[in-house]
Amino acid sequence: MSNNKKVNIFLLIIAVVLFIFLPRFLSGYMVRVITTIFMYAVIAQGMNIMSGYMGYLPFGNAMFFGIGAYVTAIGMSKGLPFLVVVPLAAITAILFSILLGLPVLRLRGHYFAIATIGMSAAILSVVKNATEITGGAMGTTLPIIDKDPSIVYNYFYLAMFGLMVITTLSLYFIIKSRFGFGIRSIKANEEAAISMGINTTYHKVVAWAISALFTSIAGALYAYWMSFIAPDEVFDVMIAVNTVVIMLIGGAGSILGPIIGAFIIELFAEVAWSAFLEYHLAALGIIIIIIVFFVPKGVSGTIADFIKRKKIRARKRVSI
Amino acid sequence: MGGNNTILKIMNLSKHFGALKAVDEVSFEVKKGEIIGLIGPNGAGKTTLTNLATGAYSKTDGKVIFKDLDISNLKPYQIARMGLTRTFQVVKPLIGMTVEENVLVGSLYGRDKRNTDMKNASKRAKEIIKLVGLESKKDFLVSDITLPDLKKMEFARVLAMEPEVVFLDEVMAGLNPTEVTEASILVKKIRLEKDLTIVYIEHIMKAVMGISDRIVVLHHGRKIVEGTPQEVVNDPAVVEAYLGKRYAKGIKEANNEG
Amino acid sequence: MGLQMLMNATLLGGLYALMGIGFSLQWGISGIINLSYGAMVVLGSYISLEFFNFFHIDPFISMIMSGAILFVIGAIIYRGLLQPFLKGGIVFTLILTFAVRLIVENIILKVWSADYRTIRLAYAGSNFQLGDVYIPLTKFLTFITAGILIYLTYLFMMNTKIGKGIQAVALDKEGAQAVGMDVEKMYMINFALGTALAGLTGSLWASIYSFSPHLLGPLVGKVFIIAILGGLGNIWGAAAGGLLLGFAETAGASFLGSQWQEAIGMVIMVSVLLWRPYGLMGKKFFG
Repeated sequence: MSNNKKVNIFLLIIAVVLFIFLPRFLSGYMVRVITTIFMYAVIAQGMNIMSGYMGYLPFGNAMFFGIGAYVTAIGMSKGLPFLVVVPLAAITAILFSILLGLPVLRLRGHYFAIATIGMSAAILSVVKNATEITGGAMGTTLPIIDKDPSIVYNYFYLAMFGLMVITTLSLYFIIKSRFGFGIRSIKANEEAAISMGINTTYHKVVAWAISALFTSIAGALYAYWMSFIAPDEVFDVMIAVNTVVIMLIGGAGSILGPIIGAFIIELFAEVAWSAFLEYHLAALGIIIIIIVFFVPKGVSGTIADFIKRKKIRARKRVSI
Repeated sequence: MGGNNTILKIMNLSKHFGALKAVDEVSFEVKKGEIIGLIGPNGAGKTTLTNLATGAYSKTDGKVIFKDLDISNLKPYQIARMGLTRTFQVVKPLIGMTVEENVLVGSLYGRDKRNTDMKNASKRAKEIIKLVGLESKKDFLVSDITLPDLKKMEFARVLAMEPEVVFLDEVMAGLNPTEVTEASILVKKIRLEKDLTIVYIEHIMKAVMGISDRIVVLHHGRKIVEGTPQEVVNDPAVVEAYLGKRYAKGIKEANNEG
Repeated sequence: MGLQMLMNATLLGGLYALMGIGFSLQWGISGIINLSYGAMVVLGSYISLEFFNFFHIDPFISMIMSGAILFVIGAIIYRGLLQPFLKGGIVFTLILTFAVRLIVENIILKVWSADYRTIRLAYAGSNFQLGDVYIPLTKFLTFITAGILIYLTYLFMMNTKIGKGIQAVALDKEGAQAVGMDVEKMYMINFALGTALAGLTGSLWASIYSFSPHLLGPLVGKVFIIAILGGLGNIWGAAAGGLLLGFAETAGASFLGSQWQEAIGMVIMVSVLLWRPYGLMGKKFFG
């Protein structure tokens, strides 16, 4: 292991420890804000593997968030404990991703993105209308943990943080693996990829299943955390829009990008909410435009470019 | 013909796009270790035939027998993993990756199952890069290298898959004469080293003459001639296909007089 | 399906047809999935509302203003925002058009609030009868107007220099560039034309239905379906897609209940995508 790598790992471990103890120094409100940031980072990683690494934009990915949330709500209303319900939620989402993915992942580019939006909207309608099971459009409640709220919020902070760390580490190892090279090849040139022995259908479906897994667990935690969910909220297209913005500003196709992006966007959104209450939608719109104009490659991409340019300059100096 | 050393058999292979018969009942055999030149004017069906053999297109009719198995209904990735691979007429690099990563993908997903392990595959990729002479460029992004290097990279990527038969689709296209000579030498050298069977697709006849053992000529989707380079070059049907009827007649007359 | 229902479906479908064409042209020719399209439609409705309230101008006339204003807005959005990022791919144009939607939504909320608004035309209640079938006058007029506008769009595309240029660019961008055509200008005009059609639809919509910012999202859902059904960039395809959606929604609402309306459209869209990705009547134009 190189020294550089050792330093990086050391820094990451320190960051993890810091985040674990951070809530002690923060208000309950900030703890909730940061929990939301972790949640968005997880969803953004689910988008990242598909779009950032494989080049397929799953614009309807909120469906897995919604499925995760609703399976959790329904399971817990039947008396199942949370830890039993979470795997059920994940399995349900994965099954959906495979069943929908097999036909839909044949579509490329725009068509795939749009088909996923359509599916998400269709599932939303089913959830709204299956009132006996889901509680319908008005939403449904989950059992409330019978403890002091600040302790409960700390639980969810840690759980969401843990999920983010696990998700990010998994993605890191996936991307470094053979499978990771497979999906990156699909983004680079699908025709070349298939001629090079890559079973593209298999890779695409598995990647979407992983994406569904990440996203659905975030949904499950969210449902238990909020203890109330409504269909329009957990299947909201805004979830996907936010996630895409987060991925873009952090840098699509980078491991830490979505986390950086989630911090920037969500903290910004908090400021926008409080400073421009009546104009927060426009503020968000303008922020999106500014981001796209000034950091189109995202923060991590821009930094990487900067380092690369520096290196080239250094190399030129040496050769002179 | 036939026998045990036939590695690839194209049998009555056809591909129709509506009324257009892009490939029409083409048959020929390739023996292990041979270099077959597949030539014909533009639009003769060479690339379509390549797409059929490697599974990128589904056939209309016929068979492709590779190592005694009919592969004409298999997917491209399955065929590639069995050891039948190709390069592309227009290079298709994996954009966003380095030269080494491109070659690495080839070895990770190639025929040799040991290379599914990252360490082995990485070692293999490095060897191949050295073999084709791209070592100094291995960390360059593919978007930053020249066309001849891209072609080398694509050839390396194919080699990393440990193929038995390779379709080289107009690898010389876009290269200048010096680069063409270099590339030919490289292909010859590596063929011996790797015991490769090569189907060499070209529309410039001259380019394949010196390198091929046998030549198959396509015209309007049909095979018109098959033989040694000498036989093919003197065949009136070939001259006609390439240069038009009037010119062919002129040559015939000139030959008769001479 | 009863005759009355068939008539209702046709009248609704005519408006959908007009609405879908602009979106389909923007997507199929300029290559932009315009998530702000619903906002542009509703903006057209509010423009007509203002003209009606202040100058008592009928939406059937003020639609010309809606169209013109939105044409300009569309051209500005394309030149200023979208054009620089077309090469960046779908992620950028989706996000940017969504940002536009958010801004327009905010403006609408500030200026007109979230309440539903209607334009009360003096002749809104009149209708006439065709056999057993009742036809509301305003709906009939919107249907006819939509038909005329669709035909005018078609004539524009077929017979004007710019229209032909847009088609040439759509079919073969490099070729058009090679013969010295200003490709970006064609894309811009096409995009602006699309937003103008959104505005026109909004005005017609305002003459028969109420409207509010809540429509922004659902309308985008509808134009998606219409464009996919018809095949991208295909005028008659989108028109047929609009009629088809009108029928599907009307039939679905009466057989399954109106709460399934949205799901029906989406299921049809996804099925068509899988079965015929280039639309029911479409040929591969782009993508």
